[in-house]
Amino acid sequence: MWWRRTLSRSCRCCLGCGRSGAKGIWSLRTRRVCSAPALPAGRITALQALDVWKRHFEEKGVTEPEHSSQYIIAHLLGAKTIESVEQQRLTQFLSKEKTEQVWQLCTRRLSRMPVQYVIEEWDFRDLTLKLRPPVFIPRPETEELVELVLTDLQRHPGAAETRRQTCLEVGCGSGAVSLSLLKSLPQLEAFALDRSQDAVDLSRENALRLGLQDRLKVYHMDVIKDTERMLGLFSSISALVSNPPYLFSEDMATLEPEILRFEDHAALDGGEDGLNVIRQILALAPDFLSDRGRVYLEVDPRHPPLVRRWTEDNVEGLRYAKTRHDASGRPRFCILQKEESHKDPDQD
Amino acid sequence: MSSLLPLTSRLLGVSRRLMWRAAPGVSPLLRLTPAAPSWVAAVGKKDLPGLPVLLEDELEEQFVRGSGPGGQATNKTSNCVVLKHIPTGIVVKCHQTRSVDVNRKRAREIMREKLDVAYKGELSELLVKKKESMLKKQEKRKRVNENLEKKRLFKKALAADTKPEDDTV
Repeated sequence: MWWRRTLSRSCRCCLGCGRSGAKGIWSLRTRRVCSAPALPAGRITALQALDVWKRHFEEKGVTEPEHSSQYIIAHLLGAKTIESVEQQRLTQFLSKEKTEQVWQLCTRRLSRMPVQYVIEEWDFRDLTLKLRPPVFIPRPETEELVELVLTDLQRHPGAAETRRQTCLEVGCGSGAVSLSLLKSLPQLEAFALDRSQDAVDLSRENALRLGLQDRLKVYHMDVIKDTERMLGLFSSISALVSNPPYLFSEDMATLEPEILRFEDHAALDGGEDGLNVIRQILALAPDFLSDRGRVYLEVDPRHPPLVRRWTEDNVEGLRYAKTRHDASGRPRFCILQKEESHKDPDQD
Repeated sequence: MSSLLPLTSRLLGVSRRLMWRAAPGVSPLLRLTPAAPSWVAAVGKKDLPGLPVLLEDELEEQFVRGSGPGGQATNKTSNCVVLKHIPTGIVVKCHQTRSVDVNRKRAREIMREKLDVAYKGELSELLVKKKESMLKKQEKRKRVNENLEKKRLFKKALAADTKPEDDTV
């Protein structure tokens, strides 16, 4: 039944592959054939489509073959998970148009495009975010970063002067962290910045879609290059949050194709020891934070002791408070606190 | 199911002790011995028990993040959470949403409900047994009273036989 169409159909996938621009290698190799299965001549059900594409992903070595076909097809049926689609609908025939959509999207996945980019959205805590390459896709660990910040901000709702709580996010990507905090804390005001214009645009778009644009200001800035501008803009911040690029440069080459080919490397590469951006954030933190304001960082599991030592040696006014582990048990989060300087003004 | 049996016998054992210790009229659930399972919440006198409290120390959690460093280095879409309650062996799987965080929270909610059923299941059994025991006692007391009444009437009848009949009763 599937074999009636010509092979030329299978070349359609190349148009989908070269999407990611400068960050991916695909734009240089448009000749490559992704060999999607031909569109079925007759009608098929969603269940059958799931099976065809699961097997095809397996054949082509695409990771998470079953999950990939499930998420893509569920999305096209208007659902977030395949489990939430009525059994009845799964056994109904798909329309011709719907079948073509399935084929188009699944073919993109053949090029190892992450599912989140294929369906152009994903969920982060209780939000649904629009996603586009090469803007960094939020990871599950970062959901826990938000929980850590929330725990603290909810416990101390603000100074006696009822000054509004503010947070500053460095490297906001799609806006996941800031928007999640804003959603959970109706009184919060958020500032977010990213060195990528794509990320700034996407964060603003997500803020609008979620109705949070009034409390989020997004800046196109680089925490390393635009220090002066930043110092002029941000002060008395309650919480400085960041999921900065923290991978070690030497580990970049071993990343899976989903990441290497489609996500912004600048959002991942933290330099030789993965700490380039982190050091910059820590150095500037005391100037941005209010007294007893805190820094919350997501880091590589090797970083916490390095961060602690570097801060003790180099950042006056910032005290390493604690390390937190992620749900997999890996050291993942560093929390630091601005402490008032105890220097006696008569000395020196 | 087999994992519930040790729980059953433990709860029954505990509650039997409770029933005899508690003051009459007070629900045995109000007083918990140290041997009671740690996740059993204190309950109100007439209210149904609240959902059990979960202690993170008693839970084992698993989900797919790979054997590597995780975090930025990995992008996976599978987010099934598997939660195990160590003391009872009850396992909950949740992949209802696309967010790992939400799935973890829901898995815990489901776990509390399952523990509650396991606990209530034992509780209903205990209540049934308690009721049976009370009914038996009532029956016995009723029979005893009936016998006493019969004897009393019999004696009265005997006494009446030996006396001349009166018009007044």
